[in-house]
Amino acid sequence: MKNPVDDRLDALRGSAKRLDYNARSLAALENNPRCTLRALLDASGSDKAAIATHIGHPPSFGQSSFAITRGNAFEAMVKDNGCAELLRVLRETLELTLPEVGYEDLNDVGGDGRSKQRHERTEEVLLRAARGEGDATLFDHPMLRLLIGGHKVYLEPDLVALRIDGRFHVVEIKSFPIIDDQADSTQVRAATTQACAYIIALRDLLGRAGIGEEAVSDTIVLVAPKDFTNRPTGAFVDARKQVAALTRQLSRIERIGDLVDLLPEDLTFDLDPTPDKNKQPRRPAEELTEALDQVLVTYRPDCLNHCEMAFYCRSRARAEASLDVLGPTVREQFGGIDTTTMVMGLARGELTPSEDQVEIAAALRHAARLRAELEDLGGAA
Amino acid sequence: MSTLSALAHVQAMETMQAVPRTEFRHRHLSGRPLVIVPLAMAGEAGAPLAAMVGSAKRNGTLLVVAQPRNRDQRFAFAADLGRIVMNYIDSFRQDRRGEGERSRYTDAPQILVPNAGGVKALADLGRMCRFRATSGPYAVPDVVPEFGMWLTFLVDRAEQAGTSTLLPVTAMLTEHWATGQSTLEDQNLASLMAWIAPPPGLSVEQAMADAENPDVCPPAGPSTSPEFDNRDLAPAIRRFDTAHTLGDPHALAAAETELRELIAGQIQPTWRMVWQAISLLRSVPEAPRTAKRFEGDCKAFTKYSDYRDSDGLPQRKRDNAIGAARRLGWLEHALAEFESDMAFDDRFVLADRRSAGEAFAGTVVEADPGRVVTTDKNRRVPRPRVTVRTEDPVRLAADTKLISPSLPAGHKAMIVSVLSDGGTTRVTVEITGGMGRSRVPQQGTVPELGERIAYLPDPGWRPAPQFPASDATPWTHSAAESGTDSVIPEDAAAEEWGNED
Repeated sequence: MKNPVDDRLDALRGSAKRLDYNARSLAALENNPRCTLRALLDASGSDKAAIATHIGHPPSFGQSSFAITRGNAFEAMVKDNGCAELLRVLRETLELTLPEVGYEDLNDVGGDGRSKQRHERTEEVLLRAARGEGDATLFDHPMLRLLIGGHKVYLEPDLVALRIDGRFHVVEIKSFPIIDDQADSTQVRAATTQACAYIIALRDLLGRAGIGEEAVSDTIVLVAPKDFTNRPTGAFVDARKQVAALTRQLSRIERIGDLVDLLPEDLTFDLDPTPDKNKQPRRPAEELTEALDQVLVTYRPDCLNHCEMAFYCRSRARAEASLDVLGPTVREQFGGIDTTTMVMGLARGELTPSEDQVEIAAALRHAARLRAELEDLGGAA
Repeated sequence: MSTLSALAHVQAMETMQAVPRTEFRHRHLSGRPLVIVPLAMAGEAGAPLAAMVGSAKRNGTLLVVAQPRNRDQRFAFAADLGRIVMNYIDSFRQDRRGEGERSRYTDAPQILVPNAGGVKALADLGRMCRFRATSGPYAVPDVVPEFGMWLTFLVDRAEQAGTSTLLPVTAMLTEHWATGQSTLEDQNLASLMAWIAPPPGLSVEQAMADAENPDVCPPAGPSTSPEFDNRDLAPAIRRFDTAHTLGDPHALAAAETELRELIAGQIQPTWRMVWQAISLLRSVPEAPRTAKRFEGDCKAFTKYSDYRDSDGLPQRKRDNAIGAARRLGWLEHALAEFESDMAFDDRFVLADRRSAGEAFAGTVVEADPGRVVTTDKNRRVPRPRVTVRTEDPVRLAADTKLISPSLPAGHKAMIVSVLSDGGTTRVTVEITGGMGRSRVPQQGTVPELGERIAYLPDPGWRPAPQFPASDATPWTHSAAESGTDSVIPEDAAAEEWGNED
């Protein structure tokens, strides 16, 4: 069954247990798709947080227990009494006509909470609904499945609703507020990207049974607290663009083999954990760092917000005096130049510009003259 | 961003210290600003957790909400903070000069918060408070809606470029200093200060590492660090709740003290750092045109103060179409004015715009000082022309109106042509104003051969845009839903509150 690429990926990960993609790590794909290190670590199922911690750059984002509690409480409230509050939102706020409502709980199958069993049940129920059989219209926590790079990944949307215009809609229940019809754009975007993975998985499920992708809408329903209250309100969010983007990224994962081929034969990110339950890494940190250093990274300051490896990548960018440290707004002023050394060399006229650097070198020398003029006249405090 | 600004960041990164990017401070800094450091609870919509507030470093008041999910405690907090802020604002509503239309207060309040998130937290608090009713069910103290309306006024005003009534300290610092880190990291007050003024005995690298360690430098808010939430805050709030339920006064007092101490430990480092930043900013000389802009602040403050004195309504939830268009036009105009003011005052900013091709400076190489033209009205007026040779990458087109920081006030000119000449550019300009009233230009108003001069685009005067009256807006631009005519939402007082125990 196993192909050579999978063997190579397993070797990269080493002896640790494989970590699968989840809706979050899939969503994060969209943030920095060009980063080779991230692609390899994710595709090989390596534990990025453990690796970053071991080499002395532990990731710093935890989640506050307040946020988690609040999120769960809000979701439970929306779904209480057979989704009574949700129906109110769908009917009153979003002005949908939902004549009959059937609620189907897919949280477990007769007490069995295993992903595989739940997925089979979900598949059965959703396919029946798609064919117009059965009377369920709201599906609570269906278990979807997506094949990513040949690996099964289970995904669990908050809710899927059918018969909003006769199509399946993914409903995302989030606890950030919609104040006066406006919500924080970063949070909306993160929620939408997450929902895209569900849309793709849902289309895949129906597609296997020969049902076209138009059966699943690419508009998601966002349900969130209204203003400062605990009452939910809703909004439609168009996810077309992000669905297309994520689809493209997923197809890139399929081509991970091209990246693997470029690596040295014996490269591995193995932590060599102790076999007991502490899983203490035994591999020397320097050796692991050396291995990571051989892979190309694309560091951007906003990686700090979502990637476990970001502190490592930043320290590497700093050590290389890379302009990546300063972020895209500065970087794009110096097209074709990668390091501060090069910028300063050209600005001081100590380096000879290559053919395509002539223009930027002139601009830099001009800026440097201006700067020198300012400093000669006595700089500011 | 201009090449010069980008170069400043690269220089900072290379030398490992912040590089000044302006000669002056372009924001008014009050002699008695009110600092507010707001903290909010994670995951909740605008649930305040604490605030430290005061107009002197040694004189900060710490306000804490023991159970942020409790509605009564939330509004007790809003009332306490509101009283302090309203006392401060009222102290500026005393000294008034001028008659009738021109009458205005001579000074205006200034509220400083650590970062942009602080402004957002105040905006949320303002929205939460301004529609509250002071009688009937869910009544709140009188000061709460008043405070909410003032906060909303300050937050709205903060969106306008060049104003000083509500400012994040990080924005004031980055206006003056360029660091060797990204814009994202500049949002962190401690990281920013690490570049500008690292603590004594620490290198910039060490200070930066400390700045990102929540145990050394707690985040400047409004969110607290998740580790602190999970490790310290959550158990302390639980102990408070337990004591509350049991009705044990000793345990309650002990739990409250514990919470206050925990939060003080998180908020005080930021408090000290904000004041340190303020004294740093004070050491930068103020730009000449800042005083003129501050007069605009006093005018807006007086206007809103009078509106409140006449019991005006709270600000709408959302602008209507005309209000939004008018406001947008005004904001754009204010931004253009502010940018031009800065370049006029500050040779650093002028250099920045020169590097981007938006301004130029050079030597007069040709001059026709006696040129006279006949206008449409058959008047003969002086229209001298000069040609300036510059090494700047000029990107201005013909017919652009210009002003000059190097020539007498009132000088106006217009570009006739821009010609590239080898490595330099020759810009011919026609002088159109600022030469006095006679037919011969006054001495010194027309640049001479060999003189070095600088020009930048004139932001110009713009007529106030005309909009239809509110009852004559076309249906495409009027609110469709019913009930939005009333400014105060009907359900304001009865708005439900989550998680009430």
